[in-house]
Amino acid sequence: MTVHEVVTEHSAVGDGVSARGVRRRFGAVEALRGVDFTAAYGEVTGMVGPNGAGKTTLLLVLATLLARDAGDVLVAGRDPDRQARAVRGQMGWVPDAFGIYDNLTAHEYLRFAGAAYGLGRESGARADELIELARLKEFSDQPVHVLSRGQKQRLGFVRALVHRPRVLLLDEPAAGLDPYSRVELRGLVRQLAAAGAAVVVSSHVLSDLEQMADRVVFFDHGVAVGERRIDDAVRVAGPRLWRLWALNAAELVAALDSHGYAHTPPTALGVDVELDSDVAAAGLLAGLVRDGVPVVSCAPLTSTLEATYLQLTGEQA
Amino acid sequence: MRGVLTVARLELTVRVRAGRWRWLLAGWFVILVLFTLLLRLAVGRSPDLAGSSGTVMYGGLQLFQLALALLVVPALTGQSINGDRERGTLGVLQVTNLTPFDIAAGKLLAAWGTACVFLLTSAPLVAWSMIEGGVPAVRVVAVTVVLVVLLAVVCSICLGLSSLLARSTTSSVLSYLAVFALTIGTLVVFGLATALTAPGNSGSGTETTWVFLAPNPFVILADAAPVAPLPPEHCHYVVPDNGMGGQFPSIAAEVCTSVSTNVDPLGTISRSVRQLRTDPNASSFSPQPVRSGGLVWPYGLGFDLCLGALMLVVTTRRLRTPRRVLARGVRLA
Repeated sequence: MTVHEVVTEHSAVGDGVSARGVRRRFGAVEALRGVDFTAAYGEVTGMVGPNGAGKTTLLLVLATLLARDAGDVLVAGRDPDRQARAVRGQMGWVPDAFGIYDNLTAHEYLRFAGAAYGLGRESGARADELIELARLKEFSDQPVHVLSRGQKQRLGFVRALVHRPRVLLLDEPAAGLDPYSRVELRGLVRQLAAAGAAVVVSSHVLSDLEQMADRVVFFDHGVAVGERRIDDAVRVAGPRLWRLWALNAAELVAALDSHGYAHTPPTALGVDVELDSDVAAAGLLAGLVRDGVPVVSCAPLTSTLEATYLQLTGEQA
Repeated sequence: MRGVLTVARLELTVRVRAGRWRWLLAGWFVILVLFTLLLRLAVGRSPDLAGSSGTVMYGGLQLFQLALALLVVPALTGQSINGDRERGTLGVLQVTNLTPFDIAAGKLLAAWGTACVFLLTSAPLVAWSMIEGGVPAVRVVAVTVVLVVLLAVVCSICLGLSSLLARSTTSSVLSYLAVFALTIGTLVVFGLATALTAPGNSGSGTETTWVFLAPNPFVILADAAPVAPLPPEHCHYVVPDNGMGGQFPSIAAEVCTSVSTNVDPLGTISRSVRQLRTDPNASSFSPQPVRSGGLVWPYGLGFDLCLGALMLVVTTRRLRTPRRVLARGVRLA
């Protein structure tokens, strides 16, 4: 089963989500203070920012659950406030914390979701497809409570695909998942984007998004404070920390000292050096190898994306 | 309609599998059986009641069953909506094609259906009382219909409260308070209102204050029950005196002096409230052996049905999205 049979393919043109100047207030707290946000079809767009930055609030507005106070929003070309029903038919939403009726089987749960979207007789076959996509076939007739957290997450995820949405909104999908489940989630998300869906993924942990998203929008205090394309971010040069690890730490430190590099004292994890660019890193590594230092690894400690994130969201991150 | 059934089916499936209701249902049945058994034994010890044990059993059983149902329904329905919200299953439902009415009515249907299953367990006991005699089928049909309608009303009230309040514990408590208001509260208000209006009146005042008793589910149930038939030898015609030496032949009533009329629990309640409605001081019958005066149950049932319908509307409105106003501390998802 490929994802192409699971979501309808779309012409990957234009924006699945476009929001401009969105405001939303809860009593005295202004959760959204004029957010601009877009997510293109065929792409995974990350939303990243500290807790309370407004990610979930914006997702609720996009998911037709929360009315906005001001601003323009289109989801799959429709206004979620005024054309909620039309948007719902095109949009799948996976909240950060969702419950699954424990006493249903995985198959029943998906069949019910299909019925709720008015799929009628088709619901059963659709549930089979989605069970397979979530790789939960052996749990198809098991009650949901026997599933692990990652399996439940996958079940909730494919539930949102039951009506073949063109826009998918995922709120903190990676939270609480083990590394293996994260890799699986990433695979599913990438497949959906490849099939033409506009996928929005929020997280307060940047590394969750770095390998999943095409583009990341940074949120802080209810506004979008900046954005980066992942491929740009990788190429962008700038000073950052690199961590070196050698078989012999003393030799490494001696070599760094002799070349005049400022470095941190060696720890069990290695030695950190600040370098201006990837070119400088390549030069240092070549020099160390020439000197015969048994270097095992040399890697950037923080990505430029993370540096941008920290810079844009201030000390809160 | 399909959406309503989809939600109802889901709710019922989840409820049936939860298991907790099985113990509740078993406990319910055991209590009803014990009650009926003891009632039958008590009736058997009284020689006066020899011919009317079925009437007594049936009336007592139905009133007792209504009381039990009023205890169970809030427990089963009082957290239907805010409980789903707390578990994070409501938002996912709201973003589907299901309308707010689908969700509200589906949940109501499931809650009502569950309550009706409880009623169904009393069928063998009802059959027993019918075999004992004195319980015509028309009485059973009427009482059952009224009971079922009353349960729908109570379910709707509890559902509405669970949609209005953020916390499921609060709405459960308030559901019990609502039931308390309908049962005990109506009595208290009636008593107070009568005491306040009585002085200066020619009558006792109950000819206006009876309306406060009307919404009481027990009053409705008893008053809507068709009169239990009596052996004809217990009845004779009485032509009431008009108090001025004359007579009202037109309101000659069949008076049945059998003891059974006074021990039929449903009939006793019904006669009392109808007597309250027509000023008791103006009547020459004391105590009233037959039902006279206007019906009470249509007013009570009408009021309760309006209340139930209103709560369904409230529930539907509370489920509407996108939401503008959120209660404090409520998460949507």
